[in-house]
This record gives sequence, structure tokens and C-alpha cells, in this order.
Amino acid sequence: MFERLGLRLRILLFFGLLAIGAVAAIIGGLWAGFARSGLDSPPEAMVLGGLLASFAVVALSVWIWFLFDHNVARAIDTLASAIRARVHAGIEHDLDAEARAARYLGDLAPAAEAITASLIQTRSALAESVARETTRLAAEKSRLETLLADVPVAVLLCSADHQLAFYNGQAVDILGEGGAPGLDRNLLDYLREGPVRHAYDRLVGAGDPDMASDLLCATVNGARLLAGRMRVLRRREEGVAPGYVLTLRDVTADIAAHTRRDALLTEIFDRVRRPAANLQTVIGVMSELDGRGDAPDLSAALLDEVATLTTAITDLGARYDLVQAEWHPVVNTRSTDMMDGLQARFQTQGLGLDTAGPAMILQVDGFQIVAFWSWLAGRIAGQGLARNFTLTLSEETGPGAVMTLSWHGAPLSVGDMDAWLAQPMSADSGDLTGHGVLMAHGTEAWPERGGAGRGAVTLPIRSARHAGQRPAPIGRKVVYDFDLLSKARNAAVADARLEDLTFVVFDTETTGLTPSSDSIVQIAAVRLVNGKRVEDEVFDTLVDPKRPIPQASTLVHGVSDSMVVGAPDIVEAGRKFHQFAQGAVLIAHNAPFDMEFLRRQEAAIGVSFDHPVLDTVLLSAVVFGQLEQHSLDALTARLGITIPEEARHTAIGDTVATADAFLKLVPMLRARGLNTFGEVVAEVRKHGRLLKDLNE
Amino acid sequence: MSEATTPKRILVVEDEDNIAVALDYLMSREGYEQRRTATGAGAVDMIRDMHPDLVLLDVMLPEVSGYEICQNVRMDPALNDVKILMMTARGSAMERRKGLAMGADGFISKPFELKALRAEVRRILAGDSLSDSDPAPGARHV
Repeated sequence: MFERLGLRLRILLFFGLLAIGAVAAIIGGLWAGFARSGLDSPPEAMVLGGLLASFAVVALSVWIWFLFDHNVARAIDTLASAIRARVHAGIEHDLDAEARAARYLGDLAPAAEAITASLIQTRSALAESVARETTRLAAEKSRLETLLADVPVAVLLCSADHQLAFYNGQAVDILGEGGAPGLDRNLLDYLREGPVRHAYDRLVGAGDPDMASDLLCATVNGARLLAGRMRVLRRREEGVAPGYVLTLRDVTADIAAHTRRDALLTEIFDRVRRPAANLQTVIGVMSELDGRGDAPDLSAALLDEVATLTTAITDLGARYDLVQAEWHPVVNTRSTDMMDGLQARFQTQGLGLDTAGPAMILQVDGFQIVAFWSWLAGRIAGQGLARNFTLTLSEETGPGAVMTLSWHGAPLSVGDMDAWLAQPMSADSGDLTGHGVLMAHGTEAWPERGGAGRGAVTLPIRSARHAGQRPAPIGRKVVYDFDLLSKARNAAVADARLEDLTFVVFDTETTGLTPSSDSIVQIAAVRLVNGKRVEDEVFDTLVDPKRPIPQASTLVHGVSDSMVVGAPDIVEAGRKFHQFAQGAVLIAHNAPFDMEFLRRQEAAIGVSFDHPVLDTVLLSAVVFGQLEQHSLDALTARLGITIPEEARHTAIGDTVATADAFLKLVPMLRARGLNTFGEVVAEVRKHGRLLKDLNE
Repeated sequence: MSEATTPKRILVVEDEDNIAVALDYLMSREGYEQRRTATGAGAVDMIRDMHPDLVLLDVMLPEVSGYEICQNVRMDPALNDVKILMMTARGSAMERRKGLAMGADGFISKPFELKALRAEVRRILAGDSLSDSDPAPGARHV
């Protein structure tokens, strides 16, 4: 039982025992002496001596105990707790004060000092290397994010049940038509499910993580055709089916071009075969009947068929001319970038190049055009015509532009140039000929006289336009939460833990406070997935209320009549918001107000806002008690959330504040034993007197 | 029919015999005096010798292309008054531009209707500039 006692108490007991023992020994000794003496009563001197000796022993014991307690027991305790503090709490300063107190404990204090010093050192070295490693990982992560944000294909990562855990900016472009993609949304809400399911089942069945499956699928509305490749991730956890990576490329335009070509080809045969066959028959008959007097006059038939054929060929030729360059992948190329590239190429060839002309966006394969001009200049220089060139870009009426390479010296012979065009340009461009470049761009190039004493080569570009300012880089972020890949899903909302639910926190601004006569002018919303606010999934739109906004309301939320001109009406905005909130629990601060405005429009919008709803006013009442203030300002102030002044009373500012407040309320609710949505709603109902609960 | 007292002289540079025969006949019917050569090589010399009013010039010729002949003719100041009408079986808008850039006075795509060819020949010989409202198939403007 002594093991449970503290060190100081044990030492106290030890000294107490010693003192009691010594006093007992003195009393015992004196008693024995007295018994032998044969006296009736002990002499007073003996009793006095015994008392004095006992007092002396007790005093000595107390004094020595005190020294022991102070210099040994308490010193050990202090030292021990100081060591513990350094081990567990990460206190960094050394043990000086404690060591002084423990100076009578021999080497214990220095030894403890040494071990804590070494602990602190190891720990700071560890912390440093962790920090270094963390920085490195963060840098790598951001590099990967940039890379994935910039790859020209849509990259998606989905769990086995097709919930999105990762997507990049291109995915937003490709899938965006039916509402932008979002974390933990279902991919099959965007793509037709057949090919995706089929590919997934095939890959999982094969069980080979290195295997990929190519697929062709369409968006749900059928507007886009996508070519993609799927690869199933390695199974990481038992019992959780593996997720997959899907890359998608929009091939709608390619396939349309292909289809147009096919259609043209079919039409060519169709329209040429018939007159050709007819002609052959007519001419055959004519030659058989030649010279016979009763021969009918077939020349009208002949002329008719020939006219049909001629028209067909001319017409089809013109159409072919138009689609000729369509099949070749051309991109918008900035002329200034191309000119820079050309100057560098000319320089490495030892040739001079001046450039002139407006900045334009040309629809060309920039690499091929740069290769073409530098190759041609090399040939011209090789013939000794010139070494310094000027490349001029000029606009044409219509959609095109003309590039002209000119030089001081004799013009080039078209015969020479046509002969060069038939040869491969250089070893590093493979079999590509100058003619191939021209074909790919649906154009021709020819020599001309470039003015007095100058030669020139002209190359028309079919499609070009004036370059505006370089567009501001679009925020092409990647959005992800890999925990979603292994998230267990609960079918019933009521049984789901709050962290596992997806929430859409929203706020509306209105023309006034009466739902029956006022209208929404702005809706903002953010999504909370897996217990985190998704930074890049934001819904924020102005709404045209189709009525004037009172001055007083404009003063509150800053939305004026002029701002809502051209904004969608509530029918369109409401439908988009409904899409954004699909499958989520709605949260608002004072939700009945916002919900009433939305529900009044359900018939017009054609959807119903039957989502489960939470109200942060009620949650605040559950956590902080009904007597507190529950305004958004009071709540956020209590939770240490600051709303920037410029964001206050804007829909998005209040939305973000409400979302952050909710995320802070979740652990507080959990501390009160309210874990699931059902438990929270049951508790909230007890506060129903404060406000109406919307989940009835 | 030409109303000039001396018939206009036309040189046909065309390697395909079938169409050359037809063109011969057609040009004679129109009252022009015409000659024909079947190859590109030597065509420029022949033009210098003959100094025709108009050359009906096919683009695709063996040895020397119609473009090259056209360029060479235009480089000789003595042949300034020789008109050239180029004919091609391809005839995309860009080829047409190339032909006109080489100095051709007209450009006509095969197949063409005789009516269109006749009109084009007359237009060039009369010294009219290219008209934008030319309805003839194959004589489409850029």
C-alpha cells in the first residue's frame, strides 16, 4: 500500500516512525531501569530525563525530516515534474532552477539536466527536419497542383461509388454545363453512366492496377462527347472498393469535323457517280448510233449531265476548300510569341530578322509555321539571295492575315520554290515538307516582288484576329480531398455523423423583410465537405428581383437596381442554386427567413427545396443557451470569427462567416453528446419555441 | 465574234490533248487565231516568238509549271501586253490568289462551262479588270 503514497508523505511517515520508535525505546529503557530499582514510583529526575530525551529525539526527527523533505523529497518531485514537463509539454528552457533546489542529490540533478538538454536538442533537430520535410512536401504538392491544373485534359479522381475526390480546372470546363462539379458529388450526375460503370467493372475485375481502359462517353445532356482513360487505384484499405482516376478530353469538335468530312466524301461520290454513269451510257449509245440516219439527238441529254457534273464538282470543291484545314489541330497562337521564336531560330542559323505588323492571334500550328519560315529563309540564304530578312504580318479584310518574308535582293523563282516545297524541311521535322505545312493550314505560299529591288514570299493565314490584352490568367485550381476516397457512407441522413454530411451554407439578400411581397436580390452559398469548407466551390449570384430595390435595403446589402440589370431572375438563379445544393443539408443563419423566400418560388422554379435544414441560430441556442444573443455578429464574435467590414452584410461574407461558425459549433455539439444529424435535430426541437424548426 | 480587223492571237499551253482539241475548235469558232504547245519547257520562248494577245495557260504541266511560266513572262518587260488566263483542275481560293500574284489576268477552274470560258477570254482581251460579280463557276473571287 505504501507504493501508492507520494514520496514526501512516505518520507514523513518514515521520520514519524523513527521518532515514535526512538521515544518508545527511551520509555522502554527507562521503564526497565525503574523496575529494577525497586522504587514505588519513578524518581522525578528520571521522568524529566526521559521527557527531555524524547523531546530531543522528536525535535531532531522533525528537523532532519524537514531538511530531507526540502532538499530530497521536494527536490526530487520538482525535478521529476520538470522532466515530465519537458517530455510531454515540450517546454524548451533548461533545468537550472530545479537543479539548484536538488543540489544535495549528488549527480541526479546534473544527470537530469544532461538528459533533458539532450532531449531538447533531439527534439528541436527532429522538429527542424520535420519542418524541412513539410516545406518540401508543401512545395512538391503545390508543384503537382500546378501541373494538374495546367494539363490540357480534365483529371478526375473518384471513389468506387463515383463520388468526386479531386478535379482540375479543365474538368470544370468540360463538365460545367450541368452545374459545376464539386467534391463528393457524383460523377454520374455529369456523365452518362454506361461507359464509366462498364470500364470500372472491367478494370476491377481484371485486378491489375497497371491496366487502363479507354472509353468514350457523353455528358448527361449529350452536348459533349468525351474521350477518356480510366485507371483504378491500388486498393489501400480492406473492405473499401478502390477509387479510380479518369482523364477526359473533349472530342466533340474533332468528331464533328470527322463527321462533316465523312458527309462531304459521301456526298462527293453521290453527286459525281450519277452524272458520270449517265454520261457513260449516253456517250456509249451515241458512239454506237454514230452515222445512222435515225439516230436520236442525244446532245441535250449530254449537255444536261455535263452541266450537273460541273456544278457538282465546283460546288463540292469549294466546300472541300472550306473544311480543308479543319482536321488539323491548330491553336490560337499569339503572333508576337511566334515572331520572338522566329527571331531566335534565325539567330541560331546566323541570319538576321526584323519583324513588323500588329499583334494578332493566328489560328495556326505555331511550331510548323516557325519551322517553315526558318527553313525557307535557310534555303533562300543558301541560294545566296539574302541573309537579312523582314517578316511582316498584315491584316486582310475578312478573317485572315498575310505573312510576308522579304529581303533586299533578287526575287525567288516560283519553280525553285515549288521544288523546295516538295522536299522534307529538315531532319528534325521528320518527313514534313513545306507543302505539308501549307496543306495543313489550307493555304499556299508564293514568291512575289517585294517592292524596289526586293524579293518576298507571301503566306496567307486563313484565320486571324486582332490580339487584345493578354487575358488575365484564369484561376485554374485543383480541388481535392483524398479522405473522401475511403469515406464510409451512411444512407440515412439522421444517422450520419455531422462531419460525414455535405452541407451547403447559404445566405440571401432581399428587397425587404416580407416574404409575401419582397424578393431575393442575391444568393450566395459555400459547400462544406468532409468537415471542411471547400474554398473553390462558391455559389454567388445577383438576382434580378423584377421590381425596384428600396433605398433602405440597398443601404444594408449594397445591391442596387443598376447592379441587377442583366442578372438572372429567380427562376434561373433558383434552379442553379438548387443544383448547387443537391444532396446537401442546407444551413443558414435564421434559416426560416431564407427558406421562406426560396419556397415561395418553388412552383416557378419547378423544383422543391426539400433539403434537410439546420439553423445556426438554433444551434447557437443549443450550445450557448437561450438567454444569449444569437445574431450572426454576436455568434461569430463569441466564436472568435471576424467578418471583414467590407464583407459584412454581403451575401457571400455572411455565408462564409456562418459556415465558419457552424464548423466551430460541430465539436461543441459533439462535446454535448450530439454526434449525428438526428440527435442534433432532436435537441434543436427542444429549442423550437425560439424559432420554427424546418425539418418537420 | 471579235470585231477587230486583225484576229486576236491566242496561245494554248495545255498538255491534255482532249481538252486542247476542244479549245482549238472553240477559239477558232470565236474567230481567234490560235496555236498550241503541250509542254511547259520552251513555252516562254514560244510566247516571245509569237507574242500572242492571250495565253491560255494550264497550271499543271510537265517539266515547268504554269506558275513559273507566268512569273517568267511577267519578268520580261517586252511581254507586258501579253494577257494570261490560267486554268487549273484544282483551283482552291488560295491557288487562285497564287495565280493572280504570279501576274495572271484571270484564273478559271476546270471543269468550266464554255460560256464562262468564252466570257472570261472576251473580258481579258477587252482589257477589263477582274470583276467581283463574275457569276461563272470556277471563277470565284477570293
